[in-house]
Amino acid sequence: MDNIVTKSKDVTLLEILDRVLDKGVVISGDIVISVADVDLIYIGLKVMLSSVETMERLRGAPIEGPMQEPT
Amino acid sequence: MDLIYLYYVTRTKPNRSNLEDIGAEICPIYFQDTYAVVSKVSKDEFSEDNLKKNLANMEWVEKRIRLHERIIEEIMEKTTVLPFKFGTIFESGENVEKLLKEHNEEYKKIIANLEGKEEWGIKIYCDIEKLKGSLTLENDEISKIDKEISSSSPGKAHLLKKKKNELIKNVINEVISGYTQDSFEQFIKISLETKINKILPKEVTERKDSMVLNAAFLINKERVKECGGILGYLKTKYASKGFVFDWTGPWPPYNFCDLPKEQV
Repeated sequence: MDNIVTKSKDVTLLEILDRVLDKGVVISGDIVISVADVDLIYIGLKVMLSSVETMERLRGAPIEGPMQEPT
Repeated sequence: MDLIYLYYVTRTKPNRSNLEDIGAEICPIYFQDTYAVVSKVSKDEFSEDNLKKNLANMEWVEKRIRLHERIIEEIMEKTTVLPFKFGTIFESGENVEKLLKEHNEEYKKIIANLEGKEEWGIKIYCDIEKLKGSLTLENDEISKIDKEISSSSPGKAHLLKKKKNELIKNVINEVISGYTQDSFEQFIKISLETKINKILPKEVTERKDSMVLNAAFLINKERVKECGGILGYLKTKYASKGFVFDWTGPWPPYNFCDLPKEQV
């Protein structure tokens, strides 16, 4: 279990960025004035996110959606 | 004038005093059994124009996203939480209340679905040179090309070598896909929901090895202890082949803030 990290202070910035910037509840409409755009931040970092083809086919595998635990 | 920054929605009233040391004054906005937890932020930092400027400042981004994460983690130990995306900003508290009013039933359902569950994440990396070294690349097509190369003119041999490298690359990609799929499936067994995220390039990870899987799992709390065994199994099987497993959590359920499809 040596790779398990449980405290945010020990977690790399990458791990937090990867979640906080483009995941979580997103609101659209008039009541919200700004929801940070992930692309802006990564442009700020002079890098862009890109997906790699190697794993693309996993996306098509029957793993999406809720899965029931065995009873 | 200040703006209102929304961090999370929960059904349990957060305890204000516990959050004082964080450096942001957190306060809940209530509507029908839900609390939206917010803090005041300055327009100098968070107006649309200023936020855009600040996002280019990595020091500012790091400070702010760590604060965002910490505020959510504080409460997560005590109750189920619905985390919002970084930089969700409102003009006024009334607008936050309006949000709670409009989405009340939806948020309650999502929270109910997350009760007793934790989000965990895995990033799998592969040192491709190490993997190559661990494999005996034997394959009919490759040995056929080897034979042809030895009996070809230099020009043709050059083309054949290129073809051989292409073949090797494909074989390696197949192997990576297979190992990664196998690893992913081990975690699917203990998960209620899974999500595959974008692979991050080396410029972002700042690592020498390549990310081959970036995924999140929603796991029943009682089953989280099984992860250690799975990681041990995967390391035994794949570490010598250049694979590294970065398992982190529990995270706020950033990847599972939608209702499962059949409940929508």
